[in-house]
Amino acid sequence: MSTTLLPEDQATDSHRHSKSSEMRRYGFFPGCVAKESCKELFNSTMLLADKLGIELIELTAASCCGASVVNDTNRDIARVLNARTYAQAEALGLDDVITICSTCTGHMRAANKELLENEERMTQANSILRKFGARYDGSVMVRHLLWLLIDDIGLDNLRKMVVRPLNGLRVAPFYGCHIIRPEKVNGWESARNPHSLEDVIEAIGGEPVDYAGKTRCCGFHIQLEKDGVATSMVGQNMRIAKDRGAEAVITPCPLCHLALDGYQQDAAARWGRTDLPTFHLPQLVALALGVSADKLGLNKHLIDPRSILVERELIA
Amino acid sequence: MAQVKLDIFRYDEAVDAVPHRDTVEIDVPVTMTVLDALETAKAEVDGSISFRRSCRSAICGSCSMNINGVTGLACKTPCKTVMNKEGVIQIDPMPNFQPMKDLVVHMDPFWDKYTRLKPYLQPADRDEDHERERRVSPADMKKLVDAANCVMCATCYALCPVVSVDPSFAGPAAIAYAYRFIEDVRDSKKNERLAQINEDYLWLCAHCYACSYCPKHVEPHDRIVDVKRATVEAGLLLDHPGPRHALVVNKTIKKTGMLAETEVIQGTVGRFNFVGLMKIAPLGLRMAAKGKLPPPFLKPIPKVDEVRTIFESLEVPT
Repeated sequence: MSTTLLPEDQATDSHRHSKSSEMRRYGFFPGCVAKESCKELFNSTMLLADKLGIELIELTAASCCGASVVNDTNRDIARVLNARTYAQAEALGLDDVITICSTCTGHMRAANKELLENEERMTQANSILRKFGARYDGSVMVRHLLWLLIDDIGLDNLRKMVVRPLNGLRVAPFYGCHIIRPEKVNGWESARNPHSLEDVIEAIGGEPVDYAGKTRCCGFHIQLEKDGVATSMVGQNMRIAKDRGAEAVITPCPLCHLALDGYQQDAAARWGRTDLPTFHLPQLVALALGVSADKLGLNKHLIDPRSILVERELIA
Repeated sequence: MAQVKLDIFRYDEAVDAVPHRDTVEIDVPVTMTVLDALETAKAEVDGSISFRRSCRSAICGSCSMNINGVTGLACKTPCKTVMNKEGVIQIDPMPNFQPMKDLVVHMDPFWDKYTRLKPYLQPADRDEDHERERRVSPADMKKLVDAANCVMCATCYALCPVVSVDPSFAGPAAIAYAYRFIEDVRDSKKNERLAQINEDYLWLCAHCYACSYCPKHVEPHDRIVDVKRATVEAGLLLDHPGPRHALVVNKTIKKTGMLAETEVIQGTVGRFNFVGLMKIAPLGLRMAAKGKLPPPFLKPIPKVDEVRTIFESLEVPT
């Protein structure tokens, strides 16, 4: 898919680069929302992968991860659905399954942890996978694109790849619960005080905004449960971000994106107008790495992020 | 020994219009807990500093408070893990509660939610009719142990983002404690309990795992899922947005392999719930204007039969 290579000095970088000599291949699990209402996330991820010189091999026959909802009725089904996805990655010789959604990350990692730590569950999963000739051997590691950026590309390399630094754009990170909590499932960084998004914002020339809402919940999962609750959770968090001087928000989760981009307007009645444009993680990174803004689907956002980019002279 | 500066929220609802902050400097061993530092400050510097505490051993659950903005038990938090380079530790009352005096808050809403769920065993028959104690097998008891470990410190309630915008939500602790009785083989009111807890917005849990910081490892988020599952398995309240959502998500995954957003939204709100559909219409129209509506129908993923096999192998017959 891509022929771009990483900078030559990458081999001397202190980060993990065991696969650095050839183009790195990853299993790719886009998740349902990036294929449905947030297609701009899927497209900008592929454009970013090109720039990074990595190959994302989409697991096209993978199912939904269970989205934290299948668990509500049957934990076994949620686990075995994911085991099927991991079996597909293994069959392609891929140990990494890269996600671009916080909820996918958390729930796929939880399922994998249950499989790897409990022989009975692994046996149960394989007894069902066997019915259609599949098998999961437990070699898969589920990681978010955000972690890949830091662990495999490295912040120093990322910094060197930037051709259009963000000119100090003040960006508020919004992690999305399931990429950090519960810590025993994710544990890639502190759930109380994560800083991977801040590190990426800084590396691409932005200024991260520190605010209390960054690890809080967007309310997406209960948007249809009771009027106004999710809206208010968005309003509360965006109010704090805005008051701390944020000009935009970045999130590694399309569910958070739907909530933050979609509900701010209705939250204004209780929390005042915030109108913070929200970027998907790969959109803003790809922009800094030189992908044309026209290709990133910025016109799909309800709160148009282009005016702030024009203001910061990042696009014409 | 090190100098610790406790930056404490001060407020007395009886006299103060607004809160203020006091910094109290004390010399303590850094291995000391925040609670012991507060005790030292109260004994040696300012006797009027108010906070709740009893056991000092993470058993009574009295001393939950915000330490550098993070809710937790002061008796379980060593100073050295939270003091900054200048030795400062910020101490505030738990959020999601009305402050009463300094670090003491009004706990009433939290207790009310406990009381509503009748947190005591309700067996089918009278104790007098039994010749011996009601017995519970170790396997049955194992299911209850985590939830029964709750010390009612309210850390989870203070951390819950849903409670912070909608106090009608029962909150994590009450639901987890309801589970402790719902799954108790000696109890006879399972369905009544499930109905009650559903009325208190069981399904308003946002799946955020903020309550995973429980100092006693009750894992309230997992218990909430257990209660939801028990509700669906009992076939209760299925005509409610929460269970409808869970069931339609399962249905679309079984059919297409994907979570089909359009069908899920319709199925959760109710296809003929015109009032509900009208409420979400404005956002739908804004999304449509941006070409952002999810597709009305989804093509099934390759080998969707495998997904159906998984469902059919594991579905619990109802």
